[in-house]
Amino acid sequence: MAEQRLAMRTQFPASAESLKPRLKKAPEFPILEKQNWLIHLHYIRKDYEACKDVIKEQLQETQGLCEYAIYVQALIFRLEGNIQESLELFQTCAVLSPQSADNLKQVARSLFLLGKHKAATEVYNEAAKLNQKDWEICHNLGVCYIYLKQLDKAQDQLHNALHLNRHDLTYIMLGKIHLLEGDLDKAIEIYKKAVEFSPENTELLTTLGLLYLQLGIYQKAFEHLGNALTYDPTNYKAILAAGSMMQTHGDFDVALTKYRIVACAVPESPPLWNNIGMCFFGKKKYVAAISCLKRANYLAPFDWKILYNLGLVHLTLQQYASAFHFLSAAISFQPKVGELYMLLAATALSFFVAVALTNLDDTENARRAYAEAVRLDKCNPLVNLNYAVLLYNQGEERGALAQYQEMEKKVNLLKDSSSLEFDPEMVEMAQKLGAALQVGEALVWTKPVKDPKSKQRTTSTSKAASFQQPLGSNQALGQAMSSAAAYRKLPSGVGGTSQLTKPPSLPLEPEPTVEAQPTEASAQIREK
Amino acid sequence: MGSEMDPLLLAWSYFRRRKFQLCADLCTQMLEKSPYDQEPDPELPVSQAAWILKARALTEMVYIDEIDVDQEGIAEMILDENAIAQVPRPGTSLKLPGTNQTGGPSPAVRPITQAGRPITGFLRPSTQSGRPGTMEQAIRTPRTAYTARPITSSSGRFVRLGTASMLTSPDGPFINLSRLNLTKYAQKPKLAKALFEYIFHHENDVKTALDLAALSTEHSQYKDWWWKVQIGKCYYRLGMYREAEKQFKSALKQQEMVDTFLYLAKVYISLDQPVTALNLFKQGLDKFPGEVALLCGIARIYEEMNNISSATEYYKEVLKQDNTHVEAIACIGSNHFYSDQPEVALRFYRRLLQMGVYNCQLFNNLGLCCFYAQQYDMTLTSFERALSLAENEEEIADVWYNLGHVAVGIGDTNLAHQCFRLALVNNNNHAEAYNNLAVLEMRKGHVEQARALLQTASSLAPHMYEPHFNFATVSDKMGDLQRSYIAAQKSEAAFPDHVDTQHLIKQLKQHFAML
Repeated sequence: MAEQRLAMRTQFPASAESLKPRLKKAPEFPILEKQNWLIHLHYIRKDYEACKDVIKEQLQETQGLCEYAIYVQALIFRLEGNIQESLELFQTCAVLSPQSADNLKQVARSLFLLGKHKAATEVYNEAAKLNQKDWEICHNLGVCYIYLKQLDKAQDQLHNALHLNRHDLTYIMLGKIHLLEGDLDKAIEIYKKAVEFSPENTELLTTLGLLYLQLGIYQKAFEHLGNALTYDPTNYKAILAAGSMMQTHGDFDVALTKYRIVACAVPESPPLWNNIGMCFFGKKKYVAAISCLKRANYLAPFDWKILYNLGLVHLTLQQYASAFHFLSAAISFQPKVGELYMLLAATALSFFVAVALTNLDDTENARRAYAEAVRLDKCNPLVNLNYAVLLYNQGEERGALAQYQEMEKKVNLLKDSSSLEFDPEMVEMAQKLGAALQVGEALVWTKPVKDPKSKQRTTSTSKAASFQQPLGSNQALGQAMSSAAAYRKLPSGVGGTSQLTKPPSLPLEPEPTVEAQPTEASAQIREK
Repeated sequence: MGSEMDPLLLAWSYFRRRKFQLCADLCTQMLEKSPYDQEPDPELPVSQAAWILKARALTEMVYIDEIDVDQEGIAEMILDENAIAQVPRPGTSLKLPGTNQTGGPSPAVRPITQAGRPITGFLRPSTQSGRPGTMEQAIRTPRTAYTARPITSSSGRFVRLGTASMLTSPDGPFINLSRLNLTKYAQKPKLAKALFEYIFHHENDVKTALDLAALSTEHSQYKDWWWKVQIGKCYYRLGMYREAEKQFKSALKQQEMVDTFLYLAKVYISLDQPVTALNLFKQGLDKFPGEVALLCGIARIYEEMNNISSATEYYKEVLKQDNTHVEAIACIGSNHFYSDQPEVALRFYRRLLQMGVYNCQLFNNLGLCCFYAQQYDMTLTSFERALSLAENEEEIADVWYNLGHVAVGIGDTNLAHQCFRLALVNNNNHAEAYNNLAVLEMRKGHVEQARALLQTASSLAPHMYEPHFNFATVSDKMGDLQRSYIAAQKSEAAFPDHVDTQHLIKQLKQHFAML
């Protein structure tokens, strides 16, 4: 800003000269500009009241012809938030000296602030004709195009701006465009350059860290977030992200201490309470976890991730009805975006719903939920296994067999692709089921005498099925954590401001109209 | 046999059984027969007794406990110049609840009333109003009480009572005040007391009552504390708080009574001296340990000063003494509800139900608690009961509004939408419902509708920060920074500690400062 001000000063004489020929009375000329220095001094000292007084005096003397006074008055109006007035004044300035690109720029900027992006682009284009080499014009044009949803043009303009003069803001806007287009890699490229250019900008560092987090590159993410925290130890986004990373690694205590800092600064942040709740969940303090998650849900009732976590905790506590309610709410709020982890989450959701329903003995709906989960699922054998167990317990051995084979396929795929260790409990379960299925089929043809034994088997599997749930939810625990981590990833990835609109849904405060009638109150006292 | 009964005894019996009309009628008959006692100083002044009894009966019919009922009219609130300090220090005034946020809940968690206080668990005449800063705010009826506010208290409630008394005696008033020789009556202390109460409560002629009280206290050589209290009451009613304070204080010196403490505290509250009132209550507690009315008074003051934790402590103390105290139970219950313990709140509300409180509000709260404590089976039945018990449309609107929350809680946005709509149908001024509808519209992507709804909400309830903030964010997203800034500033005024608002304002200021 200071630079800019200086620019104004130097530009000034020029415009004064341009005024000169038009004025008929030569002696008046020096009066016109004589207090400019004073106005400037007051302005840069932020002494706006005094500044306004001087401006008023000056404008009275000159009958409103002093351009600089009007200009500064307009700036002050803008700082006070009266953009309409400031626009009018800037327009007067532009009339007074039509050759000045600065005035046009200010007019355009006012239009931009008023949300008239189209008009703003026109004025900027005009200004660009007067001054080709101004990065600001290019940058602002780019921003206007973003609002007008013309991303290609916006990119061009922003790149132009970067050629003329490198600036943090331009980088950020460019990064935003890439994020809007969903191109994470390019966004990261841009942010990397930006961080190279200004390594101490915490906003850039945090955003880059969050992007890395989203891509799962934890080392780099942590590095950048850590850097951001060294420059600004109270940056709440960075703390939250760092905390969620610690959570993924199981450092719940450290994460909680981090969150404590945030809780002082932002006590009403839903993601914060969500993460704290999941920390407690990780430490197996379920009541605290539920209470934190519920607060998060209270603050952001539309957030499906919180509902998801709540469902998960209740599932672990074997409160299946509550779990079902939370999970079904989560499903209905879940955005229908086909991103990978969304899909994973959707699978997990329907899977959990199925588990909850199984335990509520609503097999019909449980089967539907499993079918949905299987449809969405691509790589998790656990879903098929549980579905198979359910079908087997229902006596549909053919369906169970189909699911079992599906599961084996997935297991083989997984074995090929990675050396992933399977949960021994799951493996054991799968073996039991396999045995049961084969024995059962063999039985049909050979000896019906063995029936009691197979029945015993089925009971054992059904027992194991109920055993399965802890296992399922254990597995889910990892998932929940990642969702807690993903939580922060998502939002700031898409853009800080768009995230912030979610909390406003927190107005949904139930207001219990707790009231006994006043008449009753007086009756109450009188009895005493 | 009944007809043989001595009429005075019968009238007395009626009076004891609170059949005041019958008692008064009987006394009238007796007085018609013999208006005056024959001898100047009889052994048994029957007529005099009948006269006193009639005065007392008439008084009892319209008696209102002065301690409790204190509804401020607009005139009292706007033209209130009794406050000692115009710019009070934080924590010493009831006027600026925002300044003493010690232990108060954040508005993001517990909704606030128009006066900027957290919503209370128990509606009483003074809690809802607070002291508004502007005339406009004063005229607007507060959300928790939809009854029209009397323009001034003396022309509101008291006048109504006066006219009511006129109706009961069609052939003119029982006692013609203007023809009363007050000095004569002041000589007879027993008669004077009844007469005073009659004038004060039934005729509502405070000035005459004050005259009588002054004469009487003179007659008793300033040794009767009762008269001092009555003079204090008259002064209080006339708005002469300092004089009232003197009278009450001197009465307390003679005889410490719970009533007197309560009256004096009331004076201090009118003078906006909550801390002095608190000290007084505590003094009173030293004399009368465990007195419920005093404890409850302390709790109320703490609650009005936004010190919810202390208020809850005292309410608990009240419950220790009197475990059927509705106000204390309701307040503790709502406090638990807003501090994430719906299960505990549920227990308190159930207690109220056991005690026989049976109204719309209670069932509504039960329903909400059930939902948040995951007792899903009871939730909807409670709300159904609440709907059937609702007495007016505003209550119905509130129940639907809460049902909307339940719908959001189970993820059914369509149902939520309908619930909020129904709330609006029943009460067109339900700002919260407008706001929530706007949020739902936003989720559907209908930005223009959302903006319109938000504007309605913010004009209806300027004390809520949510519509302002939502409007600011929506405008910001659309690029209309000017309006966004204005709305954000309003939001900041309503809830200064809201971090998201602060972020937004900072961002906007950066935009404005950038050249």
